[in-house]
Amino acid sequence: MSDDALHSPRARHGRAPDVFRPGGWVPMREYDNDEAVDFAIIGTGAGGGTLACKLAEYGFSVVAFDAGPYFRPLEDFASDESEQTKLYWTDDRIVDGANPLQLGSNNSGKAVGGSTVHFAMVSLRFRPEWFKARSLLGYGADWPLDWRQMWDYYTEVEQALKISGPVSYPWGPPRPRYPYRAHPLNAAALALAKGCEAMGIKWTETPLATLSAPRGLAHPCVYRGFCVTGCSTNAKQSALVTWIPRALAAGAEIRDLAMVGRLEVEKSGLASGVHYQRENAWHFQRARNVVVAGYAIETPRLLLNSATDRFPDGLANSSGLVGKNLMAQSNQAVWGVMEDEIRSYKGPPSLAITEHWNYEDKGKDFFGGYAYMSQGPLPQLWANTLTGARGLWGARLVEQMKDYNHVVGLKIVGEMLPQESNRVTLADETDQYGLRIPRVTYAWCDNDKRLIDHSLKFMSRALGAVGARDIWTQDDDTCHLNGTARMGVDPDTSVVNADCRSWDIANLWICDGSVFPTVGGANPSLTIQAIACRTADRIRVLARRGELEASARLVARPQLSREVSHAAKASG
Amino acid sequence: MNRAVDLALLGGAAVALSGLMVGPILATDPKRIPLQHQPRRPESGLPVRRARQQEAATVRAARGLNRAAGTLAASVLADSSIEHYRGSFKNRAMVTPLIVSAMTLATSIHGTSDMRPSAHKARDITYLLAAATGLLGTGFHFYNVGKRVGGFSWQNLFYGAPLGAPMAILLSGLLGFCSERLRESRAASRPEIFHLPAGRTIAAVAGAGLLGTSGEAGLLHFRGAYHNPFMAVPVTLPPIGAVLLMRAAAGKAGREHAFSRVWMRLLALVGLAGVAFHAYGVSRNMGGWRNWSQNVLNGPPIPAPPSFAGLALAGLAALGLMKEHPHA
Repeated sequence: MSDDALHSPRARHGRAPDVFRPGGWVPMREYDNDEAVDFAIIGTGAGGGTLACKLAEYGFSVVAFDAGPYFRPLEDFASDESEQTKLYWTDDRIVDGANPLQLGSNNSGKAVGGSTVHFAMVSLRFRPEWFKARSLLGYGADWPLDWRQMWDYYTEVEQALKISGPVSYPWGPPRPRYPYRAHPLNAAALALAKGCEAMGIKWTETPLATLSAPRGLAHPCVYRGFCVTGCSTNAKQSALVTWIPRALAAGAEIRDLAMVGRLEVEKSGLASGVHYQRENAWHFQRARNVVVAGYAIETPRLLLNSATDRFPDGLANSSGLVGKNLMAQSNQAVWGVMEDEIRSYKGPPSLAITEHWNYEDKGKDFFGGYAYMSQGPLPQLWANTLTGARGLWGARLVEQMKDYNHVVGLKIVGEMLPQESNRVTLADETDQYGLRIPRVTYAWCDNDKRLIDHSLKFMSRALGAVGARDIWTQDDDTCHLNGTARMGVDPDTSVVNADCRSWDIANLWICDGSVFPTVGGANPSLTIQAIACRTADRIRVLARRGELEASARLVARPQLSREVSHAAKASG
Repeated sequence: MNRAVDLALLGGAAVALSGLMVGPILATDPKRIPLQHQPRRPESGLPVRRARQQEAATVRAARGLNRAAGTLAASVLADSSIEHYRGSFKNRAMVTPLIVSAMTLATSIHGTSDMRPSAHKARDITYLLAAATGLLGTGFHFYNVGKRVGGFSWQNLFYGAPLGAPMAILLSGLLGFCSERLRESRAASRPEIFHLPAGRTIAAVAGAGLLGTSGEAGLLHFRGAYHNPFMAVPVTLPPIGAVLLMRAAAGKAGREHAFSRVWMRLLALVGLAGVAFHAYGVSRNMGGWRNWSQNVLNGPPIPAPPSFAGLALAGLAALGLMKEHPHA
C-alpha cells in the first residue's frame, strides 16, 4: 500500500487515487470551502456516487463527501475476511426492538463507493407493480414514479455497469439485452437450478454487476469468490470503479475521510452548506444545494442531528416521517449438505436466482414477494453462521466445518412491509465525532413472518429435491436497509417528492435507499442508481427552467412537476 | 509436468503452423517459375505439355490441401491441448483429438512435401481417422451440453463443450482425404472426388467450413459481448468468403475468380491476426501475460483463429485447381 487510506485522506492536493493502477493518481478538481458549490453530496455509494457523476457530467459543480477511505482495490484489498471488515460501517449504534437488526456488515459500508464496494452485485429490476404496491397489490405505499420511466433508467444503469445477465429474462415485461453475458454457473447455482426444475418453477442466471468480459482497465471476473469482502480485481462494477472515476473526469471533487455531522440551514429556511470533520478538524463547505445520500440509517441520523430552532424535529421532517418506515429485507436461508463437492465459494456468491415468488401472487398467504439465490459463504462467515444461527460450538462445530466444501444453501431477499414503528431515532450517546448515535428499532410484522415461513418451507423442499441431507433453516437474518425518508406525492405522508427533493427545504435532496416507500423482494442497488439517474435528469430540467434557484418562496410543496403528476395518473 | 507437456505441444504446433502458413501467403504463384524455365520442345506438341501442366496443377492443389489440412490440424492440436487440459482430461477420450491431430499434422507435413501424383495409404487412413474423430467428438460435445442442467441453453452453449470445435478436425480429415483423391486423378481426366468435380467439391467443403467456423466464433464472441469491435471480423469476412466459394462451386467453367483468391488470402491473414488479437485478449485478464498459466486457459483461445487460415488455404487450393482444370 502506497499510503494509509484509513487514516489520512487520499483525495487532496488536486489528485485522487486511480483505482485502476496500484499507487496511481488521477487529477481532481478542488473547491474552496467558501466557494458555494452547486451540489454538496453526502455519501458516495449507489445513490451519492451515481448522482455526483451525473450532475458533474451535466456541468454542475459538485463536492461529494464520504466518511470512509478511498481505496485502490488492486492493492488495498486482501483475500482475508477479517481484514476486509474495514469496508463496513462499524461505528457505535444501538439496536433494539423485537427483532433487533444486526448492523455492520452486509447492510453497511464506509468507503468511497459506499456499500457497493462489497455488495453482492445482484442487479435486479423491481417488478413494475411494486411501484404501485398500494393501488395494485393492496399493501405498503405507492411510489410517485412510473415504472415505464424507471425501465429506461434501469437500462441506463445496466449499461453503465455493464451488467452480466441472461440472454433473456424470464420474468416481467421485456427488457433490453444485458450488456454482458451471464457468468458460468458454479455447483451451488446448479443446485438452485435443479431445485427449481424439480419444483416446476423458472430460474435464471443472476444479473450481476461483475464483468464477464474485459472493460477498459477492469479485468473480467476471475471467480475469486471474495465478492462481498471487496473485489480486488476491479471486475466488480462498484460505484468506486464506475461512477466515481466518471465523476472525477467530469470535474467533481471527492472528499474521503470526511464525516458530515450537520447541515446548515439559513434563516431563509434554505440549506447553505455542510459541516464536516476531516483530519480532526471541523470545516464548513458552502453549497447551493445539499444532497443527503447516507443510506437508511445515516441519512435520517444526519437530518435529525441537524435540527434547528426553526426545524426542531430535524430537517425535512414536517411530516414526522424522517427515520420512520425503516425496512430491512428478510435474508433467511436453508442449508444442507450434498454428497458431491459444491465448493460454493467459487465465483460470485449468487450466480443463479429465481424470482418466481416475486411475480407469482397465487399460493401466497402474505403480501409482497421474495427472490431466492444460491449462496457462497466464505469460511469465517460460515463458521459464524454455524455458531450464531445453529448454535454449534466445539467438536460439533469442527465436525460441521469439515463439510464446508459440500454445503449448499438457498437464501431469500424478501420484502418486509413498512411500519412507522420500525425507525431510526437519536440516542443520547455520542460517537468519535461527538455526534449523537442512531438508535435503530426493528420488529417483524405478521406479514413478514408469514413470508419468511413460506420461503423457508419452499426452499427446504427445493433443497430436498436435489438430494441435500441435514437440511436446516437459518431463521434470523436481514439485509439491505431502506425507507426512513420515503418519497411520495403528498408532503404530509412523505419526506421527498418524486425528484428526491425534500418538501420542506427546496434545496435539500435525499438520494439513496431511504426514499423507498416499499422494498420489494429484490436487491435495491439497481433501483437506487436508477433513481439517482432520474434525479440528475430532473435536476437538469429544473435548472434549465430556472426552478433550481431555490428561494424560500419556492418550497417544492405545491410544485409537483407535470411529469410526476402525469406519471401518477398514468399508472395509478 | 502436464503444463510443460502442453507448452511443448503448443510451441511445436505454433512452429509447424507458421511454417505451413507463411510460404503460401507470401509466395506469388511460384508454380509459374519452373514452367518458364522449361526448354521449349515444339516437336512434342501442345497436348503433352498441357497434360503435364495439368498433372502438376493437380499435385499442387493436392499439396495445397495437405497444407490446409495441416493448418487445421495444428490449430486443433494446440486448441484441444489447452482446452482439454483445462478440462483436466476428465474423460480419457479427451486425449484422442491430441493424438489424432498430431498424426494428421505429421501426415499433412509429409503430404505437403510429397510431389508424387499418387495417393498414400497411411495418409489416407490418418485423414479418415481424423474425420471420424471429428464426428465422434461432435457427438461427445453434444452429449456434454445436452446433459447439463438447462440442456441446450445459452449458458451451456457458452460454457459447455464447444459444439463446433470438433468440426475442425473433421474438416482437416475431409480436406486431406480430398487431397489424396486428387493425387489419384489422371492428368488427362477431370480431377474428381466421388465422381464430383474436385475443385468445386473442395470449394463447397471449404465454404461450408468457413460458415461453420464463423458460427462458432459468432457464438463465443457473443459470449464476450463483442466488447472489442474487431470481434466482429470473424463473423463478417469469412461468410463473404463462403459465399464466394459457393459461387465458384456453382459457377461456370473458365472463370478466373481473382477476387475470391484475394479474399482467401485476406481470410488467411485474418486467421493469423486472430492469434495476435487473442494474445492481446489474454493480456486483458487479471495479471496479464505474467499470469499466463491461468490466463491462457481463461482468456480467448489463442490457437483457434488459424482454422480460418486453414479453410482459406483449402479455398485457394480449390480455386487454383479450377484455374488449371476449368471443369474440375
